[in-house]
Amino acid sequence: MPGMDHATEAIGSGRRSASPRLRTAALVIPGAIVVAIGAVLPFVSPLPRDEVVTPASQAALASSSGLWLASAAVAERRDPAGPMWRLLIAMTIGLWIWSIGYLATPLALTISYAIAPLSTAIFVHVLVAFPSGRVRAGRDQSVIAATYAFTLASGALRMATLPGDWNLLFLTDDPVAVEASRWASLGVPILGSVVAWVLIGHWRAAMPVGRRVLLPVLVALPIAFVLESAGYVGDAFGWTTVSDATRSPIAIALGATVPLGILLGLARSRLDRGRVADLLVELGRGVPIGGLRDLLARTLRDPSLRLAFTAPGVSGLVDGDGRPVEIPDDASRRVVRLDAEGQTLAVLIHDPALDSEDPALLAAVGSAARLALDNERLTAEVRARLAEVSASRARIVEAADEERRRVERDLHDGAQQRLVALALRLDAARGPDGTDPVLERATAELREAIAELRGLARGIHPTILTESGLQAAIESLAERSPIPVDVQVTPARFAGPVEATAYFVASEGLTNVARSSHATSASVSAEVDVTDRRLIIRVADDGVGGADPSLGSGLRGLADRVAAAGGTFAVESPVGGGTVLRAELPLR
Amino acid sequence: MSVAARDPARPIRIVLADDATLLREALASALATSGFEVAGQAGDVAGLLRLLEHDLPDVVIVDVRMPPTHTTEGLEAARTIRSTWPGVAVLVLSQYVETRYAVDLIRDDPRGIGYLLKERVTRIADLADAVRRVADGGSVIDPEVVARLMGRPRTHTELDELTRRQRAVLGLMAEGRSNHGIGERLGLEPKTVEGHVGEIFSKLGLEAGLDDHRRVLAVLAWLRES
Repeated sequence: MPGMDHATEAIGSGRRSASPRLRTAALVIPGAIVVAIGAVLPFVSPLPRDEVVTPASQAALASSSGLWLASAAVAERRDPAGPMWRLLIAMTIGLWIWSIGYLATPLALTISYAIAPLSTAIFVHVLVAFPSGRVRAGRDQSVIAATYAFTLASGALRMATLPGDWNLLFLTDDPVAVEASRWASLGVPILGSVVAWVLIGHWRAAMPVGRRVLLPVLVALPIAFVLESAGYVGDAFGWTTVSDATRSPIAIALGATVPLGILLGLARSRLDRGRVADLLVELGRGVPIGGLRDLLARTLRDPSLRLAFTAPGVSGLVDGDGRPVEIPDDASRRVVRLDAEGQTLAVLIHDPALDSEDPALLAAVGSAARLALDNERLTAEVRARLAEVSASRARIVEAADEERRRVERDLHDGAQQRLVALALRLDAARGPDGTDPVLERATAELREAIAELRGLARGIHPTILTESGLQAAIESLAERSPIPVDVQVTPARFAGPVEATAYFVASEGLTNVARSSHATSASVSAEVDVTDRRLIIRVADDGVGGADPSLGSGLRGLADRVAAAGGTFAVESPVGGGTVLRAELPLR
Repeated sequence: MSVAARDPARPIRIVLADDATLLREALASALATSGFEVAGQAGDVAGLLRLLEHDLPDVVIVDVRMPPTHTTEGLEAARTIRSTWPGVAVLVLSQYVETRYAVDLIRDDPRGIGYLLKERVTRIADLADAVRRVADGGSVIDPEVVARLMGRPRTHTELDELTRRQRAVLGLMAEGRSNHGIGERLGLEPKTVEGHVGEIFSKLGLEAGLDDHRRVLAVLAWLRES
């Protein structure tokens, strides 16, 4: 299908990664050990115990790195091939390395101080690349590159000029360099503003789903921005109290808003997956084709979702109302194909953020929709086949009727006319006073043959039915019956097949009455049920009853014949209670 | 001109309408042999009516089934002829015995009209009799129509109260025969026939004193509906 190659994936196979549980364990167990070591470090610190090991600092440190680790595990589960979980692991490790500073040896302090700018850069990387971890080419890439360059350069300058016996990287106390380092710190708020500008751009471009996903980073950004900036500005102007305060556990904990957001997203996904069950229940009840889109949009919480169908005889895609649907060929939308038996039933056009928010939810909803549509398709197919079979059965019956009419007409126009003419000539040949016994007998036999042929032709097709309708034909039928028949038939005319079927019911019914019911009287009625647009034919007798439609081929044939006309046929024949045949024929 | 006012010395003039050419020719020659004058032949109703516009015969013999629809053109043509040219008698030939058609045909005016089973024409004497009767303004109903009506199963049994002879008289009345004709057929005195007719009418609960024409319709209707 044209235009579907872009950002398209098919639902049907489902991607399966090898033992995701094992991989998560491989990530979480060593990570937890690292986090635990980080949390224990303050206890082995030679620094005054009551300054470094406060409940708040411990809680902040452990929960923050724990949250980063957990979010890394979640991200890995969702997108094992993507870079997001690696970034989050880098954040976790950054925090751990930072906490090495608690050992308070010159090396440990140097490493701890030196890693801090890198952590900031990774944090910005996470924010800009959120939620997929992939950085969009262009502006975003430039911003991240600039962030790494700036933080590493300013960090290096800072380490080189930061006085202290412990600083192994101290190079110079040249006032120009020190001054430069201090002013470089002012770059952090500028950087923060740029990142904020980028994220606001993401927010504006995002659809509702994307905005929901972006929410945690948008909350984290201003907090991290204010605290970090305050810290750097404090450093720059020597307000160490501010700096110390911002490096406090509060800052660390608030920086964890991003991993917290990722984890909350997970919790929401669980709820969303619960809604897949609701979706299946709703689909099981049967959803009109127009209602399917709304239902899927609700389950995926993507109001922008569109559902487009393939339709027989239409080259492109159409929506539930049959209007053509164009597939956007840019990155603003993603397309999921719903396939069955190698043919595309429909496509879901959705917010690309759904992929990163919860690809499994999308896959589940896609599968449910595919099942519903496939079911719809199969049902429609069965219905179409049934309609086709009914129509062909009706056509076969009509063709047989037409053939009988033709045979009757041929007999009438051909053999009968010839025989009558022949008899006439024979009679004339006999002369006015003819008494030739041979001729006499031949003429008599010929007359009998003509009468027989007449009976045969009438049996093949009663012309009075087509000439004068059901009432006349059934009255004529009743006159020929050996027992009295009360006829109550509407004088109305109906379509040929309806009249033929109704007549067949009356004729077969009366034949059965005469043959096996031992009835003393019978009745035939045919009335129109105006509200239901049906012709109801009823043949009743006061005979012995006990007729079994499954045994008598006559009744079986009647039922078939009525069914071919789209009607219903019922036999009521209690033993000793007479027989009632009732056929209802739809009038179209 | 009325159907009854015919010069008995002049041969009865007939127009034939039937799309079966072979039969029509055979019929024409048989009628000519029997002393009738075949004034014209037509293969369909339009042709028949064109013939009549130029020259009115005494009797038209018309087949029920004719082009274009091969259904009941002949019946409609008979009604048209009877209402347009009351002086022309019509004998309708029908493939099948349909009592409804017989009754419908004579319902408006039973004079000068007849309904015969087609194969009846194979007995020239019978056909000639029927032609003469309609030409004289009588009604003719095929004996098979009457037999069907007489033999129809009934829940009411007024017919059972009739004697064999009375049943025969009733059948001949239904065929459209006059008292005189009935007497001839059964070898009875006109007075005797009149007696039977009176008794039949009272047993069947029919209105007495109807003329011959009205009588046919009353008897047929009674036979068909009771």
